[in-house]
Amino acid sequence: MIETTIPRGTPLPRIRPWLGIAAAASFVVASAMALFWAPTDAVQGDVYRILYVHVPLAWLAYLAFVVVFLASVAWLWTKRPFFDAVAVASAEIGVLFTGLFLVAGSIWAKPTWGVWWTWEPRLVTTAIMFVMYVGYLLLRGLSTDFSRRATRAAVFGIVAVIDVPIVHLSVLWANSLHQLPTVLRIAGSPALDTPMLVTLMASLGAYTLVYAYFMSARVSLELARQGRLWTRT
Amino acid sequence: MLERIGARRVLIVAALGVAVLVGTVAATNLASSTVYYLTPSEAKARNIPSKQIVRLGGQVKADTLKVAFGGGGTATFSLVITDGVEDVLVIADGALPGLLREGAGAVVEGAFLPDGTFHADQVIAKHDEVYTAPTVGATPAHRTSFP
Repeated sequence: MIETTIPRGTPLPRIRPWLGIAAAASFVVASAMALFWAPTDAVQGDVYRILYVHVPLAWLAYLAFVVVFLASVAWLWTKRPFFDAVAVASAEIGVLFTGLFLVAGSIWAKPTWGVWWTWEPRLVTTAIMFVMYVGYLLLRGLSTDFSRRATRAAVFGIVAVIDVPIVHLSVLWANSLHQLPTVLRIAGSPALDTPMLVTLMASLGAYTLVYAYFMSARVSLELARQGRLWTRT
Repeated sequence: MLERIGARRVLIVAALGVAVLVGTVAATNLASSTVYYLTPSEAKARNIPSKQIVRLGGQVKADTLKVAFGGGGTATFSLVITDGVEDVLVIADGALPGLLREGAGAVVEGAFLPDGTFHADQVIAKHDEVYTAPTVGATPAHRTSFP
């Protein structure tokens, strides 16, 4: 019988409520900055402001899927159920964020590019990433055996992360409609004015706290499920 | 034998091996096989036959964005797409996106006519990666109506 309960020595401080408050507060502040404080764009006017939602969600989706990769490796290496809980939590949040930033991008694309969607490299690889991780979540429903399910998902989680750098580099590798990276690029400093960069970083901080809060709640929920699973046998 | 090596380790190595394989295949093939658009030079080099649906991408050449109003409230737009080497005259009768400007990028989808001009069914404006605040007194270049 594998030891699955977390040893309780000293009680952990209850940080999740504070994390939630910090996430909500920073989200409000960042949204206010994005809507009112950041300047309009010289070319696009105000429609560019969705950048402050689209980009942080995209970066955090990348992070979430890298966390899935790390947790999957950790599960295969140590067989500790905690890492399987982290993997499924991060995958769910990553899928949510990916769906949201795809919609945000589409809302931006219609008034600027002129189309809601087009099959260009960045959009294709992102759609593939979304579908793959939905597949990851569905894959977990195939088995009721905990260890088998976790191992199967972990292998898939390790392979699927390959698409994350492909999504980012797709605009550099092929003729594409999506613009080149503005911040995460090798040559030159970020190609946006300082107030815009400040607002983007504030948004990134806010969404990171939201991710951390969601992770905290979801992992805790999954561990509780695991606890119930084991005590029943 | 699997128990001796450790099925777990075999699985990790196999998973990483597959990941490397998939990554290499994707990385090497993605650039060449998934062509979203051709530049005018590439289209000329490939000798695209007329009536074949293709996408062209490039910059809208300065002083080439024009509109001609026909009878019955129709309008036909013409512009020149260039990549600095080759130019292609594009005729479009659909609506143009508001962000389309001379000197900025555009992607057009349609077919070449026998005389070498390009008839576009769809015109998509491309935005570059630079975001700047407008200079004092200037209005954003985003047009909401044409001309």
